[in-house]
Amino acid sequence: MVFLEAEMSSNVLLSPEHLTPQGLLLRKSIITRLFEDIANKKASKEHGYFIAITSLNSIGEGRVRTLTGDVLFPVNFMCLTQKPTKGEVLTGIVDKILKHGLFLKSGPIDNIFISEKLTGEYKYVPGENPVFLSEKQGKLEKGVSVRFKVVGFRWMEAERHFQLLGSLAGDFLGPI
Amino acid sequence: MSGEEEENAAELKIGDEFLKAKCLMNCEVALILDHKYEQLQQMSDDAANQVSQVFEKSLQYVKRFSRYKNPDSVRQVREVLSRYQLAEFELCVLGNLCPETPDEAIAMVPSMKTKGRIDDDEQIEKMLQDLSLIKKFE
Repeated sequence: MVFLEAEMSSNVLLSPEHLTPQGLLLRKSIITRLFEDIANKKASKEHGYFIAITSLNSIGEGRVRTLTGDVLFPVNFMCLTQKPTKGEVLTGIVDKILKHGLFLKSGPIDNIFISEKLTGEYKYVPGENPVFLSEKQGKLEKGVSVRFKVVGFRWMEAERHFQLLGSLAGDFLGPI
Repeated sequence: MSGEEEENAAELKIGDEFLKAKCLMNCEVALILDHKYEQLQQMSDDAANQVSQVFEKSLQYVKRFSRYKNPDSVRQVREVLSRYQLAEFELCVLGNLCPETPDEAIAMVPSMKTKGRIDDDEQIEKMLQDLSLIKKFE
């Protein structure tokens, strides 16, 4: 998984009770609110998942919103992000095995599906504990680490996350 | 369902952001996130509640899939890989997946050869040997 340290800008909105005479408290309130905003936002289509804010570059002058009395501060910062790319080889952990394929999780990405059409030599074996089995290369079951290739992905606006499609059909892919 | 039309990591046809921004390997991210978590623990008793799910899942993931744990080794890995003409993205994929043979390396990062930067397998072999030496002495 390739992580990026990206430069980002965001507007932090503070309501009047945070605007005390002591400058230090103000800065802390802005930073705390920024952390909250980013944590709530989770991810964006453009940047991918927001993992952690690594440094603050600048906090601009606040602008008062006349109707509400809130103050808007433009903040520029560096953020660790992660975004899937088509064709990339990723490592994931098997979460669920179904007849038509398997589901994996990989870091912040919760929703990865590998269709049974793309599992290469691995075939579904039903049972109380279903698995995908290959003669030469072993077994895929819940908890196993797997290398797969990203075939495609899409951004789900409502859930604010990415949905990935993967494939095990290729050299050096499969359990590790 | 697909990414952008032309995007394909295997050919290094990736977004501008990957080519311009700093890319980090799992082991580097593990050190950063560990440090952040410690900072939070010092500032409040309730560090576990302060970090987002995305942070937690990422921290668990990078710790599990980091080949190199100590900061000096991590630095050496980046140094070794930087000696070759690799894009940041390619460097990170190699540092993460730690292929054992040139064939495996080329399968993981096909763009390495297609852009004509690393033409012979001996170079790749040397790179992989240097990387496994770092692991041996960790």
